[in-house]
Amino acid sequence: MRPRIPTILPSVRLLKRGYTYNAPSANYPGHVPTNIFQKLFLAAGSGIYSFFDPKRADLIATLGEATAVPFLMKRLRDQMLSDPTGRRILRDRPRITSASIRVDQLLSYPENTIGRTYAEWLKREGVSPDTRARVRYIDDEECAYVMQRYRECHDFYHAITGLPIIIEGEISLKMFEFANTLIPMTGIGAILAPLRLKPKQRERLRTIYFPWAIKNGATARPLINVYWEEILDCDVQEVRDELGIEKPPDLRELRKKRISRL
Amino acid sequence: MKLCTLRATLPVRGRVFRTYAACRRLSSKSTLETVTGTQSGIAFDNSATISQTCSTTMSNLYDVVIVGGGISGLTLAAGLKSSPYTSNLKIALVESMSLASAKNWSPENDRYSNRVSSITPASRCYLSQIGVWDYVYAERVQPYDDMRVWDGVSGARIHFDAFHLGAEDASIAFMTENLNLQHALLSRLNDLPADPPVMVLDNTKVEGITEGPTFDDLDLSSWPSLKLSNGDIIMARLLVGADGVNSPVRSFANIKSRGWDYRQEGVVAVLDMEWDDRQRIAWQRFLPSGPIALLPMPDGKASLVWSTSPKHATHLKSLNGGAFCTLVNAAFRLGMVDLQYLMTRVDEEEITQEFEWRDGRLPIEAEGQQFPIRVVEVQEGSRASFPLKMRHCDTYVAPRIALVGDAAHTTHPLAGQGLNLGQGDVASLVRVIEQATQEGSDIGHEIVLQQYWAERYPINHMMLGVIDKLQKLYCTDFPPIVGIRTIGLEVVESLDWVKKIIMKQAAGA
Repeated sequence: MRPRIPTILPSVRLLKRGYTYNAPSANYPGHVPTNIFQKLFLAAGSGIYSFFDPKRADLIATLGEATAVPFLMKRLRDQMLSDPTGRRILRDRPRITSASIRVDQLLSYPENTIGRTYAEWLKREGVSPDTRARVRYIDDEECAYVMQRYRECHDFYHAITGLPIIIEGEISLKMFEFANTLIPMTGIGAILAPLRLKPKQRERLRTIYFPWAIKNGATARPLINVYWEEILDCDVQEVRDELGIEKPPDLRELRKKRISRL
Repeated sequence: MKLCTLRATLPVRGRVFRTYAACRRLSSKSTLETVTGTQSGIAFDNSATISQTCSTTMSNLYDVVIVGGGISGLTLAAGLKSSPYTSNLKIALVESMSLASAKNWSPENDRYSNRVSSITPASRCYLSQIGVWDYVYAERVQPYDDMRVWDGVSGARIHFDAFHLGAEDASIAFMTENLNLQHALLSRLNDLPADPPVMVLDNTKVEGITEGPTFDDLDLSSWPSLKLSNGDIIMARLLVGADGVNSPVRSFANIKSRGWDYRQEGVVAVLDMEWDDRQRIAWQRFLPSGPIALLPMPDGKASLVWSTSPKHATHLKSLNGGAFCTLVNAAFRLGMVDLQYLMTRVDEEEITQEFEWRDGRLPIEAEGQQFPIRVVEVQEGSRASFPLKMRHCDTYVAPRIALVGDAAHTTHPLAGQGLNLGQGDVASLVRVIEQATQEGSDIGHEIVLQQYWAERYPINHMMLGVIDKLQKLYCTDFPPIVGIRTIGLEVVESLDWVKKIIMKQAAGA
């Protein structure tokens, strides 16, 4: 009879690994291995801070990574793996930066193309594709890329829905993303951030934007599977139709109307 | 019923005298005496001295008629003829197909038949006991002593090692082609010095089974009478149905067979591995669409059984060889999402590229340890599929009728038990018939046969039940169920004594 050392069930060992301090080595360049307590700490810290200072995109990014439950990230990755384009994205690993996307060139595209709308949107909101942080706290290398991709495509979601980056637009888009991708941070943001708003703004979200976001997010095709770089010259409305998204009412217009009425 | 009244008083060879006596009552002439003394069994000389009705009847009376020349049927014939107590029974074996190809079979270099079975140590032991195993081409038998089974969804694994079975050089099972066994059985039957020899009627269909005739003084109404396609009518003291899933014998006996279809098909193929893996490991991965198993064969070949939906089975058979092999590799190595995606593709190049990409992400140390080495080629024309079902008869016996093997029960191939349960039936039935002949009982009587049923039914029922539950447990990717089965599998994996019990059961001990 072979002597047998009492062992722990592999599933228990897997859970335990999250609690140990001898964290495993980095799984990809830039990876910061963390255990479950560290993740909770990061999530709480970045969550509280960004609640009071929603402009801190880096903290929101950290919140996103720290709360990225492996199960849900794997689900999103599997969604990509089930789709030919999603697979191609995972294989090519494209990054959206000012080097890969020439914004000034996009401005010369015909009106109503994805590229033109995106570039105009960047200009109008005064942001650049390079403002996106690197993913650090997600342990699985492939899931880390999925998160990176989501983050970099976020601006395209703004462009295609036309929602501005003022806080209400951001919250509506977060709800839309949550319904579409199930990334926990987007849901947390969409639920908690409205607490800071005025009642009138909250009502607008509740009656107009959240219903739109949930309905469209849930019924649209997975946006993570869109190879934005390849459809820059496509018509926005066509892409919207193809993905199954309705354009929400223009937030800035609504605000203007309300102000003029006052 | 007159026949039965005589039974109890007559010893071992009672049936000879009994039939003879009955016949003498029928025929006024007494020339029959010449044929009884020296001959064993009831091989009567149907000389013209016997009245016409009687001659037809006598020459066509058999002690045992086996319908079905498959492995179960042939093993039964060989088993009965190898036993000193039953070797003088007059046996006929009816098979609708030709047995010539099995009889003249000889191993063809580097080509294997896709009909392959796993023989447990218990079945092998019985085959040796009845002298059949010596006729098996040993170079076409691949024993294995290591079995790795894992859950495709959660990755939980279990590892069976032959050392759990006790003996140093034990094997978990032996893989061989059914033809090899059939050939060995036919050769053994041919060489047996049995008198009378087994009457093998191949290329002969059973056109109908009815109750036997009644003559003035001879009541054969309880004997099943078989109308054969060659025009003969034969009657059996004991009719054994070894005629497979859709057994006509079972229908005649009006025995209900219950169960269900798995809505899966088993795709089989003979595969060439990347190199001749000396590890002799049997691999099985449970995918939500059904388990896939790769069993070692000699010469670096392997036999595949991939249980999957009929739609996928058709797809797998229609693909070209290269794409098929890639999908087999993917089924053992890649995640469920990747596999599902690859299943929707048809272009070989695309499948290969996608596979190489995902396969390249796997840790190199898993190679040959967590999953088998790669499959590189599929033997031409070896791909086939068959529907999978579970069937179990309410009873295996009726007056003068017994069912063995697939006629009595059919199971999912995930545990490689189908053929072995049949071998267990045969061994049990032979034992019961041996005992009955020693006691001078009528071998066709239900009371005798019920001993066989009582012995085999619980064993088969348990095995069928366990296999059925395993199949159901693993045919889902519903997370709570996956969680429960993962913990269960890990508990079993960590408890050697539980594994030992499982392996002993699976080995047929």
